Amino acid sequence: MALLFNYQQWLFIHRYAVRDIRRSYKKLWIIALTLFISLLLLSLTFSIKQSLNDEIQANSKELLGGDMQISSGIKPLSGEQLQKLSNIAEVSQTVNFFTMLSKPDGGAVFTDLRSIDEHYPLYGVVQTEPAGAREKLLIETGAPAVLINENIQNQLQLKIGDELKIMNTIFVVGGVIASVPDLTNSAAFGEFAIISKREFAKFDLRAASSFMKHDTRLKIAKSDDYQRKIETVQALLEDDKSIRMRLPQDSAQSLRRIIDNFSNFLNLVSVSAMIIAGIGISNTLLSFINQRNTSIAIKKSLGFSAKTIQLIYFYEILIVLFASSILAYAVGVLSPLAANAAIPESFGISLQPSFSLLDYANVAFIGLLVVLIFSIPSLYSIPSIKAAALFRNTFQSVNLHFSVKNIAYLVILTTILVAYFVLQTRVQLLTLYYFLAFFISIGIFYSVAKLLIFALRRLPAFSNNTYKIAYRNIASKKSLAPIITISLGIGLTLLLILSFVADNLKREVVDSIPSMAPDIFFVSVNKSEKEPLEAFIKNLDVDAVMEFNPMVSAAFVSINGQSVESRVSRDNRSHWAIEGDRRISWSEFPPEDNPIVSGEWWAPGNSDQMLVSMDARIAKDLNVGVNDEITLSILGREVAGTIMNLRQVDYQGMGTNFAIMINSAFADQLPYEYVGTLKSEIPSGEIQAQVVRQFPNISAIKVDRLVSKVGAIMNKILIAVTSISLIVIVIGMIVIVSAVLVQTSLRKYNNLIYKILGVDFATILKAMTLEFAIIYFTLLSFSVSAAALASYFVVESIFTLQWQFDLGLTLMLTVSTGVVTFALILLANKNMFSPAVYPLIRNE
Amino acid sequence: MTMNKSAIQFSDVTLSYGQNINRVDVLKGISFSINTDEIVSIVGPSGSGKTSIIMLAAGLEKTSSGAIKINNEDITSLNENALSAVRRQHVGIVFQSFYLIPNLTALENVLLSLEANQKYNKDEDAIALLTEFGLAHRVHHLPSELSGGEQQRVAIARALINKPAIILADEPTGNLDEVTSKNMMQLLFDYTRKQQTALVLVTHDNDLAQQCDRIIEIKDGTIV
Repeated sequence: MALLFNYQQWLFIHRYAVRDIRRSYKKLWIIALTLFISLLLLSLTFSIKQSLNDEIQANSKELLGGDMQISSGIKPLSGEQLQKLSNIAEVSQTVNFFTMLSKPDGGAVFTDLRSIDEHYPLYGVVQTEPAGAREKLLIETGAPAVLINENIQNQLQLKIGDELKIMNTIFVVGGVIASVPDLTNSAAFGEFAIISKREFAKFDLRAASSFMKHDTRLKIAKSDDYQRKIETVQALLEDDKSIRMRLPQDSAQSLRRIIDNFSNFLNLVSVSAMIIAGIGISNTLLSFINQRNTSIAIKKSLGFSAKTIQLIYFYEILIVLFASSILAYAVGVLSPLAANAAIPESFGISLQPSFSLLDYANVAFIGLLVVLIFSIPSLYSIPSIKAAALFRNTFQSVNLHFSVKNIAYLVILTTILVAYFVLQTRVQLLTLYYFLAFFISIGIFYSVAKLLIFALRRLPAFSNNTYKIAYRNIASKKSLAPIITISLGIGLTLLLILSFVADNLKREVVDSIPSMAPDIFFVSVNKSEKEPLEAFIKNLDVDAVMEFNPMVSAAFVSINGQSVESRVSRDNRSHWAIEGDRRISWSEFPPEDNPIVSGEWWAPGNSDQMLVSMDARIAKDLNVGVNDEITLSILGREVAGTIMNLRQVDYQGMGTNFAIMINSAFADQLPYEYVGTLKSEIPSGEIQAQVVRQFPNISAIKVDRLVSKVGAIMNKILIAVTSISLIVIVIGMIVIVSAVLVQTSLRKYNNLIYKILGVDFATILKAMTLEFAIIYFTLLSFSVSAAALASYFVVESIFTLQWQFDLGLTLMLTVSTGVVTFALILLANKNMFSPAVYPLIRNE
Repeated sequence: MTMNKSAIQFSDVTLSYGQNINRVDVLKGISFSINTDEIVSIVGPSGSGKTSIIMLAAGLEKTSSGAIKINNEDITSLNENALSAVRRQHVGIVFQSFYLIPNLTALENVLLSLEANQKYNKDEDAIALLTEFGLAHRVHHLPSELSGGEQQRVAIARALINKPAIILADEPTGNLDEVTSKNMMQLLFDYTRKQQTALVLVTHDNDLAQQCDRIIEIKDGTIV
């Protein structure tokens, strides 16, 4: 206790530790490096997340497009409503809908087309090439203009001034969109175009299309009473249940969710890296203590207590942690500047470095917990170093010390670490499972190493020298087997699991879809156009297979009288089903590949009442069942219906699948359109071109284009996820190298003895190769099995897809990891192959 | 007439290792007393228990039975922390192999002994002592840059800087040549006599033992 308040002694500890680091930094660099890399990953995650959130916060009005966004779905606001809104704020109206853009001489793309008025955008700017193209678009001079994004430009090989056909109207390309302020997905990743509201009106789309989305945005003058006006607007429109109102703080919700989920994933990867780094810290620190056992014994002989000596070394580790964390956080703070280069220009985002003392404290605290956990067993070995050894010159290496008190400390600190992470995430149970799996994995891999040593000791002795040396190295007390197995095993297993899952998803989605999928999807097929379209296609290909389903847009309003917004949280897995307008269909009979799992299909007839069939999974997530009442807003009219049955919808089936279906007798009274699929022997591009030419109002989407887009995105995700998990492997490799380096003296001494006994360099090298091969193949057998089992569970149970083992991928990952690790081990061992005999003879 | 105080007192001390047939009795009930201003040599063949006596006196080993008093304080039942305190306040140790901390300079090695006693910023005292030992020009040198004799002089300075009541020296000249050994011991004798410090010297060197006030001869764990 006295030590706590003894300033002079703290000063001595500080001075001694600083001096020791200055003179022994070479022995501590591995600790500094592993801490730096794992803290850097954590800092990058915190820093980029903070910068993204700051950017979203600072640009929330631009992202929303106004002080308020009013989405009225497939119908525009009434003239009266608009008039009232105009009296309160500046109003801008946009309409988004999907249609075909085609070149007169062939080639077409399915595009998200937005019509804008002269007030758009209320906040921010539309950046175009050439500049000012938006303004020209709104001026009526000559041929109507369209602004296209780079994707359309590249696909249709267009340049400014080229002609484009939309429905029956010829437009001229007026410019290329670089970015729009409201971060439209299509603008960033897909096909996106802008025309003027005036030209849109000329399409005369009287029948509201199911794919149309009307948005009205308001800009409230700064000097006005903002909150009062917002409340006035909300009161004005609250009776219309088909209207959704959003404020700036609600903007970019999906982006915020993606940022949250990805940062959670990164946090888990970085804490995994930190824990593996911790194993290295523990090992390096123990070796550091063993190298200094004479110094420690001398200090004890001078009357220093073990506690003071422990404090000196712990203080040294804290200084290393402090320096590593500051450096890591500094790089993290500056990382948004580098991240800007990776963000597409179309996002219109420019991240700024963001320093937060709280974030640094967070990084340093996590680092401190890991350092504490892994330094305790090493530091508590200090009391077992005896000063009496100085009289006898007999120093024995000390080992990690696990007493009841130590174990209690470790349990408490580990619980704090896990709780700290779990409490900071929204997916708490999943995070807890991850930690459990992680710690169990450490135990398993440690057991694997011990099992290997046990098995080798039981094997009959071989007379081969190479084997004997390898055997002795593995079975010795200083064996590298446990540290290689744990450090590399966990990282490799994580990499394999993620790669297996991603590979299976990619194969199922990208590789298997084309064989079973239709060639073309048709959307927005009017009732009057359905039969001519069918006839036209039959004329092109008499064997073409087509399926058309009636469709209408509907939005969830309430469930059993309770509004969906209040009932279903944003975190709900099926929240997407209640967001805005969804397409619903109907049928006299249940779809063939949608077995009913609860309730019964309805009898024909009964046009007075809406009867509902729902996807069983969505029903479960929304906590509804048979006989519950749901209210839908269909074409602006609220209709209550009873859930009659739940279906198991197979979204992987290539028919048209709907989450909600209603009874035909009721639906036949509604105005509707069709959605359809086509499978044909004729190339899809040819059919698309002919259909678009003949039926300009119908959208025909080539499935292979969609699949290749999905494939490209999945490839990027696969690369990103595996690259991130590689960090855990890199940390594992550094830990292994550190373990090899701390054994340098011992191995050098052993090799010296072998050399004196006449063992040549080749035999020592072969023995090292055999030693690594035995350890690596043992850990591989467990790593690959664990990864296969875990990925099988994820793919089959969670994604309900068919799991397949990819031998090529497995070999590529495991062989490359093994080769790199062994090369690093050889590099770390380079001084041990030809040790000089002289020092041994001189007993140096 | 001045009354001599007892610096070290061993009363029927035994020390054994192992049990049953593996039991080795290192010391078999030895008793002696050494006064504060006395220079005593402990002699005897290898394995007789000489170094064990030093280790017990330094509180680095526990007796199997009997009692040991250092400066009239019974240290037999003290815990590690209390023994550390006894060591840093009353005892200085000189080893055969010098045992300087390799990454500390001569001055820092000497200061370490003061710092163990929470005496800080005493550089001048340490430099003065090193100068007295003829090491003024080596103050800021690392042990690897010093000769064997110089290293041992630093080690003696380290043991003496706290002005302990007892100096325990285990074959302090064992690694030195004859001339250096003589000079070294003269230095140690002079200084301990001047400070009226008890010096316990374990040695195989009969001439050296003869220069001490008293000789305790050990054989097979007993005083002959």
